This record gives sequence, structure tokens and C-alpha cells, in this order.
Amino acid sequence: MGYPHKPHPRETQVLSTHFGTADARTAEGWKQRGGYKALQNALGMDPLAIQQVVKDSGLRGRGGAGFPTGLKWSFMKQGDGKPHYLCCNADESEPGTFKDREIMRWTPHALIEGCAIGAYAIGAETAYIYIRGEFTEPLDVMERAVAEARAAGIIGKNAMGSGKTVDVWVHKGAGAYICGEETALMNSLEGKRGNPRIKPPFPAVAGLFGMPTTINNVETLTAVPHILNNGADWYKKMSRPDNPKSTGTKLWSVCGNITRPGNYEVEMGFPFGEFLQDLCGGAPNGRKIKAVIPGGSSVPIITWEEAESAVMDYEGMVAAGTMLGSAGCIVIDEAQSMPRQIARLARFYAHESCAQCTQCREGTAWTTKILERICAGDGTAEDLDTLLSIADNMTGKTICVLSDSCATPVVSGLQRWRHEFEALITRKTVHAVPAVVA
Amino acid sequence: MTAPRVNLTIEGRPVSVAPGTNLIEAAKQAGVLIPHYCYHPGLPVAGVCRMCLVEVEKFPKLAPACATAVAEGQVVHVHSEKAREARKGVLEMLLINHPLDCPICDQSGECELQDYTYQEGRADSRYREPKRFNPVEDFGGDVLYVPNRCILCTRCVRFMDDVAHDNVLNVSERGDRAFIGKFEGKDLTHEWAANVVDLCPVGALLSKDFLNKARAWELDRTASVCTGCSQGCNIIVETRDNVVMRYRPRSNEQVNDFFMCDHGRMSYRGLNRRDRIDVPSILGGKGYDAVDWDVALDGAARVLKGKRAYVVASPNLSNESLHLLSRLIKKTGGVGTFRIETGHEAPLPGVKDLSLRADRAANGTGAELMGFTRSNTPFAGIAAGDALIIADAEVKPEDLAAIGQASAVIVLSTSMPAGVTRAAVVLPVSTHAEEEGTFTNLRGRVQRFLQAKAAPGMARPTWFAVSDLLGALGESAQYFMASEVFASLAASNAGFAGLSYDTVGLRGLPIAGEPAGAGR
Amino acid sequence: MSHGPSATGGAALKTGGHGHHEKHVPVFVGETEKRLQELLTRYPTKQAALLPALWMLQEARGWVSEEGMAEVATVLGLTPAYVKGVVTFYTMYHQHPVGKHFIQVCTTSPCHVCGAEDVVKAFLEQTGCGELGVTSADGKYTVIEVECLGACGFATPVMVNSDFLESITPATVADVLKRYG
Repeated sequence: MGYPHKPHPRETQVLSTHFGTADARTAEGWKQRGGYKALQNALGMDPLAIQQVVKDSGLRGRGGAGFPTGLKWSFMKQGDGKPHYLCCNADESEPGTFKDREIMRWTPHALIEGCAIGAYAIGAETAYIYIRGEFTEPLDVMERAVAEARAAGIIGKNAMGSGKTVDVWVHKGAGAYICGEETALMNSLEGKRGNPRIKPPFPAVAGLFGMPTTINNVETLTAVPHILNNGADWYKKMSRPDNPKSTGTKLWSVCGNITRPGNYEVEMGFPFGEFLQDLCGGAPNGRKIKAVIPGGSSVPIITWEEAESAVMDYEGMVAAGTMLGSAGCIVIDEAQSMPRQIARLARFYAHESCAQCTQCREGTAWTTKILERICAGDGTAEDLDTLLSIADNMTGKTICVLSDSCATPVVSGLQRWRHEFEALITRKTVHAVPAVVA
Repeated sequence: MTAPRVNLTIEGRPVSVAPGTNLIEAAKQAGVLIPHYCYHPGLPVAGVCRMCLVEVEKFPKLAPACATAVAEGQVVHVHSEKAREARKGVLEMLLINHPLDCPICDQSGECELQDYTYQEGRADSRYREPKRFNPVEDFGGDVLYVPNRCILCTRCVRFMDDVAHDNVLNVSERGDRAFIGKFEGKDLTHEWAANVVDLCPVGALLSKDFLNKARAWELDRTASVCTGCSQGCNIIVETRDNVVMRYRPRSNEQVNDFFMCDHGRMSYRGLNRRDRIDVPSILGGKGYDAVDWDVALDGAARVLKGKRAYVVASPNLSNESLHLLSRLIKKTGGVGTFRIETGHEAPLPGVKDLSLRADRAANGTGAELMGFTRSNTPFAGIAAGDALIIADAEVKPEDLAAIGQASAVIVLSTSMPAGVTRAAVVLPVSTHAEEEGTFTNLRGRVQRFLQAKAAPGMARPTWFAVSDLLGALGESAQYFMASEVFASLAASNAGFAGLSYDTVGLRGLPIAGEPAGAGR
Repeated sequence: MSHGPSATGGAALKTGGHGHHEKHVPVFVGETEKRLQELLTRYPTKQAALLPALWMLQEARGWVSEEGMAEVATVLGLTPAYVKGVVTFYTMYHQHPVGKHFIQVCTTSPCHVCGAEDVVKAFLEQTGCGELGVTSADGKYTVIEVECLGACGFATPVMVNSDFLESITPATVADVLKRYG
């Protein structure tokens, strides 16, 4: 069982090894567990050599897009005379996802170490960890850890005595899902509304404060010290033999109608059906799982039948008709009404739309209104086609993908559970509110 | 050496543009309009309305034309099925919360939402939910905000921020709750703020001055030049039934980019004065007698005979009028002066060399080039025996004593100068909106203005009256068109050499020896 | 500006008859000013300290008033309108005074399927607030629904002021309220 429970024997603990160990939160405790060794070594290495190890490891972004981390780092032009920045995206806001929270709560120094190595590898002297404002405890833990690391000379002007400057700062968000989008995060950090920016220019050319910037997820950066310590091959081996494109371990947050919710760390390529049934205990109260959103609320919803045979890596999830995303897995059981769940998701996106792009600002709200009307028993025969048409207008046409993310559950939901919507419309009955699952 | 060019095809038309040009501008050059809302050439690109989505071959997704730079060999489809469907989707989204109040909206007829909806929008609405409602808000200055019509294109916010450098507008809230906001007590009082009304592509930002006064389609539009100061902003004079309803800026990147200041914008009001002189008259025993032009001109010629003409000219007279007046001065061995009212400077910081200038008149430069002397006491030099010609110049109470020195006064004005009671001859003339002509702005740029409305009664252009007066004095000066006077000016004044109405066009040209001019 | 029908207007705070016409006492003086100056050294621009400065303002005054925004604007060389645009973007800055205990209940999908709405109901009933965004008559509580708090495995997470509580059920609401009297 994953955190907050004891680890399941089939988990492969790398990042989560010290979850729940209070002592690992201190710099000293972290060093005793092998921490900061990787940073010490890295500061003596050529930044390009660090990039190469990360490239060789096959590490891909854990925030959702799955972009190869080493390749991303290599976009940063070394020696261009400009200040470079590293942003650590700790704005974990994707519904269903709560893995970065645990990394920061339990192993803050692991993240600081990852940030420092990342910053050094891309020629940055400053790294900002942007943590969502609601994460009061992680914020507190990270602030203290950063101060401790600075006082101990681990970060700062002469990081670990290397003569190199690597500074890390914590920046607190203030409540906006969209700030998890990389360019919105940069705007927010600059003291602006968290509006995503048009790309190009890409962050590696003009990012934070207009300077070359790399932005990495918490889990991505935390994996880096382990890769440097154990080698790219060690990391690469944690994969399906027939799929070298997804490597390493992945933290999966599991929530919703599931017996043992929590964070689980498994190797890429783990069978999803077994994962949900054996590790997570399946749906509670003897119910059956009806639907699974494997990668955070923005990825397509799949049926239990599709999920059961899926494989837990980037390609496996695509093959199953969905995406790995942020690996925030939301489980929905048979007692739930899919129209209601999809309406609730749409409402989330309508609330979080930054208001820039027309299709998103208007489309998310319109979608929500139609879905809620259907749930209230006032749906009409045309509504479903209208929903699909709106979804089409909202897909692939805006600055960022929030709009697409709102359309995704509508389209995937209607593909699979159209009968539930039709039942609501034709019978004009409100779906009974399911009993609370204890 | 020729500048590098990028060659591409837009809607099947080959076009060659400078590198870095965006697709909207490139399409314009190819004669193709890509519908858009948030994009404006005078503002930084926002890329938010998503209206300008076009299909670019080999691109995986539709591209926003405003934020996509041209590339060699690119093939762009503006009116492909895919692009049209996308824009139709945007239009539908923009309209779901937009009231159908075109019949009472000032923007109607010049509304880009209306235009594009007619052009490529849906005929019906699929929206069945209640519409969003927010109350109208007075933004201060001349601006009213009607949030229900707002499409959040943010042109106004970007103008105030990036061009006016007075960040008083914001986007408040987010999602479908967003609106254009301001801070309590901080109004749109910037002296260039009313430009947001022009920039607004819909009826969300309205001019309080113009509110409910006219429908856009009733207005006649004429290219002109603002007389509010010496900047010479290019404008459009909009009239209805021979009444000037408003000024709007006309783009000229050499002078005013896309903008005009509020002072200039409101200066149209002077054109609708009710106290116009509309008939020539001669002072008789029982006061002024209305006469026809020939009689009046003969009278004026008699007054001038053997006297020195002392001409005090308005700095808002055209180059043409000033030129002929200067010939009259020369013929009589006279003097020409003018006075310019001054005020504070109010620059528009985002545009190079664009400001509400201290000199609040359009043609001080022209007057000087024509040999007139600028003075704060323009009447002070009148000698006994001089015939004073008041050529639409303003008369202040302190001028009256000096005016008393003249042996005779000829008034050649739009309205009777205050305190001048015993003019021998009064000749009615037209305002710049009632005639054709040119001004020379403070940077020496000669700019044409066209006739926007009819002059009242028997009023004639000043140059026309002076030309006849010269004729009555025995000078050969038969001009029937302003362009002929301008040709005479070009032939006799080195500064204007080589210029003609044709070459000056509607964008102006600098006089000899001046650089290209102001603007970006 | 008030808002008409909106898809998601429900979570907004209602303006109440709270005494928010008190004169604004400057926040950025003494220790707070020093903290801000220290903060400014972390960023290449002053503007980057806007979110932190607003947090400091809210910490000091309990909410972010217009006068407070104007002070932040002055301190950071911004316009008040700009600051307001930023404040209204983020949900965590209170634009109206709130109860002594500000209770945020996550109701986004993962919590929704676990019955978060019953937790909200329990809070509304037991605090006497009755309605979302309304402060209880005794001034003690304000309850709002909040979008994903990022602790979906611990449904239903609830924030009381800056305390993050996990796995709250309707049955444990009374205990929570006992702790925050």
C-alpha cells in the first residue's frame, strides 16, 4: 500500500522511500540518507555532462506533458551572458494529483537538491520553487528546509564549497489552477495575472523575466539526484522491456472511489488493472469500478474494461485511449452518475479559466451550464450534440490547453456513457445522489 | 542593397513582405482581410480573441494570424472550411453572453462583431442559458463601459498600459466572470484616453459626448487634419446633415499613428458655432448692410487703396489662404502677424514624437513660412493709416486699443471678432471643415484636408475671397480651385517647391529640407 | 461590479455589512517593510514581489482592501488598477472581511465522488453560516467551497485559516469546529 499506508511489496520505492519519516525532513537527516551527495558531485561536473546523464536515463517530465527532461535542459544556451532561471513547478493543482505535496512534506531536501542540480545543469544561479498557496504545510516545510540549506552552505553563493552560486527560493501562489501551466506560472511569479503566454517564444529563449528559463515538475527534479547517484542505466532499466520510451519509477496518486487512496510508486510498465485491484484495493463497499481518469482530470475518462488491460507508462496510457498526464488517478464507481461527475469537472475548468481566450472563457462556462441543466432534468435532445460541437470549438484553438482539458471529459464521457446522459434527458429525472462512501 | 523579403501565398495570392511581419499584416498586403478583434497594429500582440485563426499548410493546428510570423514558402488559407468553422465557433462564443441590442447600440454599423457575424457567423444561437449581466459603468473622461457587450479583447487595457503608460484599466476576475475594471477614484482622465473608444471593436466602450447622437450609417466621413494643436493629427470629420458629429483619428504612422488626443477630439465643437457670419456686408450709415460679394469686394478694394495692409491672420488658416494673403501684404507693402494660444504639452509616451503640443493651432509653421510674424500682441504694430485685415484671428479686449489705430478694418472671418464694431467691410469665410486646403505641422509636414460640409450662406474659402480681392486690386490672381493656389505657392515658395496635391496625397509630405516627420 | 448568472459565481464571497470602512493603517512599515525589502532582493523586478506583498497585507489585516491594494501599488511602483487586476485573479486574497475562521472545503471531482457536498452542508449548518460566502452572525465563521486543494487521496480536505485538515467527513465536522471556537 502506498503512502499514507505501508508500502506494498510490489512498489519500487525511490522517491517515496522516506515518506512518513520525520527525520528525513532535516538537512542532517537527509545527508544521513545519502542526500546531497549527488549535488556535491554535480557541482564538480560539466553541466553538459549532467544533461547527458539525464538524457541517457530517459527521464521525462512528470508534470503532465512527459517531455524528455535532458532534452529540455539542452535547449538552454550555455554562456549566452544572460541570467538563466530554473522554475520548479510545485503548483500541483490538477484534480486527482497529490504526489508533489508528499515529496515536499517529507523530503524537502530531495527537492532542493534536485533544484540545485537542475539549476547548475542549465547555467542558472537562481531557482524558484513556485508552490500553490493552499499547500500551507508543504510551504512551511520547504521554507524551513531552504533556510536550513542556505545556512548550512548547501545552497547560496558558494554552494557546498564549490565556488558556484546556486540559490533556491520558495514563491507562494495565491489560488489559481492555471498557474500550473508553465508560462502562466512565470507570469504569476513576475507579479502578474496568471495568464498563459503565446508560444513562441518558448521559455528556453524568453521565459521568466524575459530570460532563458527551464521549468520542471517537483517529481522530475526530485528524480535527478537518484539518477546521478545510481546512473542512467539503473533508471532506464525500470521500464517495459519492449518500451524504452518510458523509464524509471512513477508516483501515482489514487483517489476517488477506491479502498486505499494514496500515493504509490511503481516502475513504468506496471499493469494498471492489478495496480487498481491489488495495490489500491479496488472500489470500496464491494462496488465495481465504472470509470477511471488515470492522469489527472484533464485526460480522457476510460472505462474499467479499458483501464484493466492498460499499462502504466506514457505509451501504455495512450494505447488505452487516454494519457498518463500527472498520474493523478481518479476512480469512479458504479454508484456514480457520469453526467454529474463530468458536470463537476466542467465547473472546475469554468472556475479556473484565466479569461484570455474566447473559446475557453465562454466555452467552459457554457459547457458547465448545459451539463448542470441536464443533471437538473432540464436537458433537451439537442444538448448532447451542442456539447460535442462546443467541445470541438474548444479543442486545439487556444493559447493553453485548459480549454481542451474541459472538452476532454465531455467528449470521452459522451463516447462511453452517452446512455446515461440520454436517460437523464428522456426521463427528465434527476439522478439520485449516491450515498456517501465512508 | 534591397531589404530581405519573405515570399508566401495567402488565399492563393503570392505576396512578398518584410521578415517578422505577422500573417494579418501580410494578408492585408495581399488584399485579404483576416477577421480579428484583439489584434491592433498600434498595440502589442495579445493573441487572445482567437478570431484570426487561419490554416497554414504543414502546421498541425490552426494558427493565430496575429501571433504567427511569415515564413518563406508558407501557404496560408484564410477561408478554408476548417478556418471558417473555427471562427464561426469563436463568433458563437462571443455572442452567447452578448446582448442583441444592436438597435440601441452606438457601435452598430461600425461594429466588428456585427460585421463578422454577418460575414461568417451562425444564423441562429444555440445558447439556451441565462445571459451574464453587469451594469454600465462610467469610466471617467469621455468613456462609458458597457460590460455586457465587452468581448475582453483587452485592446483598451493594452492601450492605457503600453501606449498611454497610465495603467488605469485592468482585466478583473477570471473565467466568464471577467470584465474590464478600474480602481475606484482613478478614472480615464489621461489626455489620450478617449482612444480606447475607437480601439474598442464592439460597443463596450462608448463616447459620452457622442452617446445616442447618431447612427454610424448616417454619417458622412471626410479626411481632414485636426486643428487642436500643431501636431497635425490626421483625422476623419464625421458629419450628419451638415453638422459635425465627431472627429476620429485617421492612421498615419508619420504623424499620429492611430491616435488623437481628447483635446483635439473635442475641438470639433468649434465647427458647429451658431454665430457664423453668412453674408458679406458693408458698414453704412445705419449699421451693416448685407451686400453681395462683388459689392463687398469692391468696398474692400477701395478701403485698401493706397494703404498698407496690416493682416492679422488666424494660425488655423490654410497654407493657400496664407499664401494669397502674403501676396496681398507684399502688394501693399504691408505686414502680417499671427498669435497662437498656448497650453500644456501632453505627450502620448508610447508613440515617438506624438503630443498634444503647446501651440494650439494647426498652421503656425505655415504662417511663418509665408512671412507672417508670430506675436503675442499681433495688433500692436498697427500704424496710423494702415488698413487692418482681421483674417479670422481672435480679438481679445486688450487688442482693441491697437485696433483703434487703424484707419479702416476689414473683417475676413467665420464669426464677428469680439469688440470689433466698426469694420468697413465684413467678408464671411469658411472653416477648414468647409473647404479644401493644406496645413504645415510643427515638423514641416504639409498635409491636405478636404471639405467635409457646406459653408453657411454666402461664406467662401478665405483663399477664394483673397484671390478676388487681389483681382479687384488689379492683380492677376484668378484661382478656381485650392490646388491651383497650392501650385502658385509651390512655384513661389522654395519650401513648397515640388509639392502638389497629387504628391502630398492624404498622408502628407515634408516641406523641403525637413526629415520625414513625426510618428513611430 | 455585481455579477449576473455565471457558471461558477457560487464560490464568490458575498459583501456583508462588515466594518470595512475603517481607515487603512499602512502595513509596510517597521518589521513588515524590512521583510519586504529582504524579499525584493530575491527578484530582479519589484513587481515580482506583488504576490508576497499581498500575502503580507492579508496576514496583517485579514483581508485585502482597496486602500491596502493602493498601498501595495505605491510600495512596488505599480498602479492600483494593476494590483486590483492581479488580486481579483487569485482566489486566496479576500476582497472582503471574512469570519475569524475561514473554512474552505474542497468539492472538486475526487472529493465530490467521496461526498464532499455533505461536508459542506455540515459546515454550513453547524457554523450557522447557512450560505456559502456568508459570515456567521457571531463573526466566527465563513465557509466557502474551493476547487481542488491537491489532497485528493485525503477526501475531504478542508482548510481552516492556514491549517490544512485531511479526511474530513460530516461526522468529524463538529470536532473541527470545537478546535476553532
